[in-house]
Amino acid sequence: MNAETRFDAGELPRLPADYRAPLWWGIVGLILVESVVFATLITSYFYLGIDQPEWPPAGTKTPDLVKPTLGTLVLMASSLPMHWADRGITRGDQTALRWGLLLSIALAVTFLVLKYIEYSEMGYRWYTHSYGSISWAIIGFHSTHVVALILKTVVVSALAWIGYFSERRSLAVKVNGIYWHFVVAVWIPLYATLYWMPRVLK
Amino acid sequence: MTASTETDRPGVGEQASVRPAMSRKAEELDRTWYSPSGFFGWFTQVNHRMIGKRFIITSFIFFLMAGIESLLLRTQLAVPENSFLTPDHFNQLFTMHGSTMMFFFAVPMMEGLGIYVVPLMIGTRDMAFPRLNAFGYYVYLIAGVTLYAAGFLGHAPDGGWFAYVPLTLTQYSPGLGLDFWATMITFIEISALVAAVELIVTIFKQRAPGMSLNRMPLFVWAMLVTMFMIVFAMPPLMVGSVMLALDRTVSTHFFMTSGGGEPLLWQHLFWFFGHPEVYIILVPALGVISSIVVTFARRPIFGYTAMVLSVVAIGFVAFGLWVHHMFTTGLPTLGVSFFTAASVMIAVPSGVQIFCWIATLWGAKLRFATPLLFVLGFFFIFVLGGLTGVMVASVPFDTQVHDTYFLVAHFHYVLIGGAVFPVFGAIYYWFPKVFGCMLNETAGKWSFVLMFVGFNMSFFPMHQLGLQGMPRRVYTYLSESGWFELSLLATIGAYVFALGVLVTAVDALLSFLRKPDAPDNPWGGDTLEWATSSPPPNYNFEDIPVVRGRWALWERGEEPAGTVVGLRSGRREVLVTTLLDAEPHAVAILPGPTIWPFLSAVAVAAGFLGFIRHPIWFPIGLLLTFVGFVGWLWPRAVGGSAEEEQAR
Ligand code: HEM
Ligand SMILES: [Cu+2]
Repeated sequence: MNAETRFDAGELPRLPADYRAPLWWGIVGLILVESVVFATLITSYFYLGIDQPEWPPAGTKTPDLVKPTLGTLVLMASSLPMHWADRGITRGDQTALRWGLLLSIALAVTFLVLKYIEYSEMGYRWYTHSYGSISWAIIGFHSTHVVALILKTVVVSALAWIGYFSERRSLAVKVNGIYWHFVVAVWIPLYATLYWMPRVLK
Repeated sequence: MTASTETDRPGVGEQASVRPAMSRKAEELDRTWYSPSGFFGWFTQVNHRMIGKRFIITSFIFFLMAGIESLLLRTQLAVPENSFLTPDHFNQLFTMHGSTMMFFFAVPMMEGLGIYVVPLMIGTRDMAFPRLNAFGYYVYLIAGVTLYAAGFLGHAPDGGWFAYVPLTLTQYSPGLGLDFWATMITFIEISALVAAVELIVTIFKQRAPGMSLNRMPLFVWAMLVTMFMIVFAMPPLMVGSVMLALDRTVSTHFFMTSGGGEPLLWQHLFWFFGHPEVYIILVPALGVISSIVVTFARRPIFGYTAMVLSVVAIGFVAFGLWVHHMFTTGLPTLGVSFFTAASVMIAVPSGVQIFCWIATLWGAKLRFATPLLFVLGFFFIFVLGGLTGVMVASVPFDTQVHDTYFLVAHFHYVLIGGAVFPVFGAIYYWFPKVFGCMLNETAGKWSFVLMFVGFNMSFFPMHQLGLQGMPRRVYTYLSESGWFELSLLATIGAYVFALGVLVTAVDALLSFLRKPDAPDNPWGGDTLEWATSSPPPNYNFEDIPVVRGRWALWERGEEPAGTVVGLRSGRREVLVTTLLDAEPHAVAILPGPTIWPFLSAVAVAAGFLGFIRHPIWFPIGLLLTFVGFVGWLWPRAVGGSAEEEQAR
């Protein structure tokens, strides 16, 4: 190498929709931060629960399993159309993209509705006791994520319906998808904590 | 198409010192990377150097505010049974002093240095997410200003900087002071996390070609480790401060024993953050010191690999220490012993750092300019703070001095030695780069001497006061206690220290108003920020440098080893390189100035602050923030096709 050491960046790809895009790394960073938040919430749940004589406290029913499990399955299912949409746009398939996004949104909304029904029937509130506080905090925080996810995806699918995306311009779909899968995946340990732990800690 | 603007580029050999009239390329870059000015322009700036400068200046102002608060505290303590401050004001002042120093000075100052210096050091034009950067700044500014505004309006927090429950629950601390505190602490964490993700991605993906990880300057390593620590340490505090706010506003029972809450949960969450916090402040300072030591010893660092490994080790071990703040809470003995061992262990990597610096300085032809003086001051003070640190890591000793002035002495030795002295060194070192003029050397030496003498005069006696049993956080003491002489000495020392700070502040202000005249590389440094003009242009480098050694500018006399061609000047293009070896593999196109980050920050603030009054503000804030983000992220070319966008 000498003074002529030059690197020509002229031919490098400009908007890669994969790990070469800084935005992809930014989303990974966001996911890392949020994972720590969720991990802290779960740890707090255990910390609050472990020394109690009864968890949930006397007078509060152990949560029912049917509705939450159904909701969990619905939420997990929402990842599939998202994946389909993502795959689709990589091949330039606009139909898969448009309908995949809408289907995912529909499933996520269903999940929220189920959660709403479940929690409005719940016999305790966040101010009832520490069990209520931490359960509502976890549900509230995760549901807020699902709401944000739906809002974001509405914007992405609006762009999809006006034909903004193509196989060469799909980064927004990609990172939205990654984040979607994260919010779905993180629900699984939360579900296990909220609905199975009371049975184990009993 | 690619090299059209490159043909008239001057040869590499000429570019360093001769800077003739702007080339065509430079003119075009200047237009592309412009940063709006004027009052309204200010709210739309996104360039990393603007944002970095703001972080540094704003945090310095907070440093002065907290300094004034500490002088008020010391004035009250100068003589026994003084009535200069009421007990309530005393409580509010030490709470604001501690919170400001930790959250609004030390961390943002380090972030500011990182945001300003890192992109220059790694040879890129801007950070990965310029708008996010601006957002982080506004969040920080709003948090700080709100906390102080509330304080002046009579809603100052008074629960100490770690706000222990149950004292800080509504039952014992009615009023809005702690609501503001908990909310604004959450808020500032957002700003820190944003900066962390931003810096990590920038360091990972935007280093100049050839700057593989094992050639990265130690300052950049230090920043990288710090930002990872922020990613793991801040979220738990955020969860904690949100829980505290919820306990206060909507009567949850996280910490209130009555409904099954656990007060100790707060302590765990706080110190899981709080101990790494000390290292979040210290580790960037270690990076500053490495930069200064290398430059002023005029030779490569001794033991580069050992330095990198020990910084990484500090980052890890720092997370195993938090319980040493809770030795007196009655934890199981086995746990306590573990944390004692871990606390002593951190002395090992810290020692490695110190010995490598000494080895670098040993026998070198030193240049005793002000930055180096502050580094030498750091050595002395920080080692003393480390020694008392090892002492309080032992449980019996800690039980004795817990909550006494011995502790106050210890942590000020660590924090002022570990953060303030390096930051002042950094100010003297990088001022010419940032503002284009040198600070006055004579003023610098005076400032150093006053700060060094004043500091030791103020804090050394506190060790003795602590051993004599003087508790911390007392607003006054009796004449019979025998604490008067040493307390007075401490107060005088604090004023001497403040005078030293003032000298630098005035010098900086005067130099700031002078015409820029600093050379590109006044100290003969080895890192890339010295390869561009002082202050750098908005695009940082006319040609992105290629690196082929650890000491980028020393490899072949003051110049980088080569350049990158083919980046278009007509839009904000930056080179993206691989994580390990920094081989170019893509080009990213950055967004330009915009008002949206500011609006989004205001929306988030509305949500958080409104929540103190009514929970309905949570959904409102969420929705407003969403609108802000959509405006911010809306694609630049909705109409056009991807191909057009590629070609433009
Ligand atoms: C200008 C030099 C400084 C002086 C004279 C000073 C003085 C004081 C005083 C008098 C107290 C109250 C002690 C008590 O009553 O218990 C205090 C507390 C504290 N200081 Fe400083 N300080 C200085 C700089 C700093 C810096 C640079 C930092 C951090 C970066 C810092 C962090 C703290 C903290 C965390 C507390 C504890 C507050 C609490 O008890 O909640 N101080 N300082
Ligand atoms: Cu500690």
